[in-house]
Amino acid sequence: MNAIEIRGLTKSFKGMYALNDLNMNVPVGAIYGFIGENGSGKSTTEKLICGHLVKDKGEIKLFGKDYTDAGVRNSVGALIENAGCFPSSSVWDNLMMQAINLGIKDREKEINRVLKIVRMEDSAKLKFKACSLGMKQRIGIAMALLGDPKLLILDEPINGLDTDGMRIMREVLVDLSKIGITILISSHILGELEKIATHYGIIRGGKMIREISSEEMEKRARVFTRVKIKDTDTCLSLLKEEYNDVRLDEDSILVYDIEDTEKIVEFLIKNGHVVKEIEKNRIGLTEYYIEIMSGKEKN
Amino acid sequence: MDKSYEFEKPTFIKRIKGMLGVDFYRLFHTPVFYIFLIISAIIPAMVLGMTGTTSPNGEITPLYTNTWQIIASNEPMYAVKSISEYANMNMVFIFGGIMISIFIGHDYKSGYVKQLFTTHPKKQDYMISKTLLGTFSMACMCITYLLGGFVAGLICGYSMDVNFGSLVCAILGKIIMSLGWASLYTFLNVLFRKFFGISIASSFFLGTGILIIGVGSVVGNSTMLNLFLYGSSVYACLSSNFVTIIVCLVCSLMWALIYNLIGTLVLSKCDVY
Repeated sequence: MNAIEIRGLTKSFKGMYALNDLNMNVPVGAIYGFIGENGSGKSTTEKLICGHLVKDKGEIKLFGKDYTDAGVRNSVGALIENAGCFPSSSVWDNLMMQAINLGIKDREKEINRVLKIVRMEDSAKLKFKACSLGMKQRIGIAMALLGDPKLLILDEPINGLDTDGMRIMREVLVDLSKIGITILISSHILGELEKIATHYGIIRGGKMIREISSEEMEKRARVFTRVKIKDTDTCLSLLKEEYNDVRLDEDSILVYDIEDTEKIVEFLIKNGHVVKEIEKNRIGLTEYYIEIMSGKEKN
Repeated sequence: MDKSYEFEKPTFIKRIKGMLGVDFYRLFHTPVFYIFLIISAIIPAMVLGMTGTTSPNGEITPLYTNTWQIIASNEPMYAVKSISEYANMNMVFIFGGIMISIFIGHDYKSGYVKQLFTTHPKKQDYMISKTLLGTFSMACMCITYLLGGFVAGLICGYSMDVNFGSLVCAILGKIIMSLGWASLYTFLNVLFRKFFGISIASSFFLGTGILIIGVGSVVGNSTMLNLFLYGSSVYACLSSNFVTIIVCLVCSLMWALIYNLIGTLVLSKCDVY
């Protein structure tokens, strides 16, 4: 079963399509990295799932039920754009209000539970406006976690966080995933996403252009060798004649799909070039994303 | 991992209880409500104690002759001629409008409304809860207004003569009218949710009852004006009786229903943002 299943979702703003016939499948228990350029429709999709926007057409199902079902909505937590807290109220009061809204019986225990998950046990008395950006994001997640949701929707939760903030957020999300919460997370910071996501969805122009699991991506991951050499231009032409996929990346040359790096070195030396630096690597999410977006993906 | 999930659907009562719980928690934990209660007590005291006309020989004649005139006029006066005919407990509905605008404005500005609608509350729950919250707030303001006016009347030495039954009916009538006014303000704030300035200005403008005062000055003191919120609010005067309460109840409920239905429709058909 999918935690989120979207078919033919369309949404327009003043005649401009933000989403156009979008399909999406988020498996139960996944950490689904939702990626795309600015304005590609990530936030619009998330807002539609959360019921903040009214769809033009299409179908959204959460755990097999219509997304407007009050029962299933009770199992959704979200952090969209900001935490949605009252700035002059304390962290505790903000969480208490959401706990009351959700009809949670042992509210104090529940608030302490979520504060512990987001590592903010000692900050409950702080006014929300006095919290740092990282803390605010974590409070937003704590709000979303109240009532033990099955699905968490997070819109750019690591944007603007420092290294430590990102690390804490990553740990929190992995912990949540371990207890069976499905997480849909959009982010531009692909390196961070790569560390935690189990599935990816790539959106462009309001359409889902690729959905792939991290396992599949691992299998498809291409090897590439980064070569730094003195005469880059001559060397590039030379390598292009010898190998199928050779690209220039700033001051380096990337040679794709060659497992034996030594052969490249031998070839260059034979042709009178001195290799300054050579490094073998596998393409990660960032490279895969660039390939997809540039239409150079190798099937 | 192919397992089916069962989700407990919250009942209407549970949803409303949750929404009201949040709204009242917020009401009692933020200073806005208490500030408005104090304003509601101070304003009648100031109006009663500080208004008057100065005669050519410099003698000051108070505008009010009786303490209870600060609660309501002696007769239903839809078209007013002086401040003393206008400035009475109906002013609470202006304060209430501003307070509701601040409350709903903060819901949207802080993004809290997103947290609400992500979970189980429906749009109608929001309308109903905010209406009831506004009603309660304005009812409380009516009471502090009464206390403020009474104390000021005592201090200024104004007459306390009144038909007690009519006074009670007038106050009850105005408290009942809070429901209709609260629903109007909730509707206006939902309609102009993206524009806080317009929300607060429209609440203030309609709260003054200026439209009905204008119509009243054209058509005279017609009982037809009781169909409107300001009309019925004026109808609750110092000559009120049981019928007044019935009129206020019908008018207030009718408008509360209308505004809640339209407000729910607006929220359901439009994006939250």
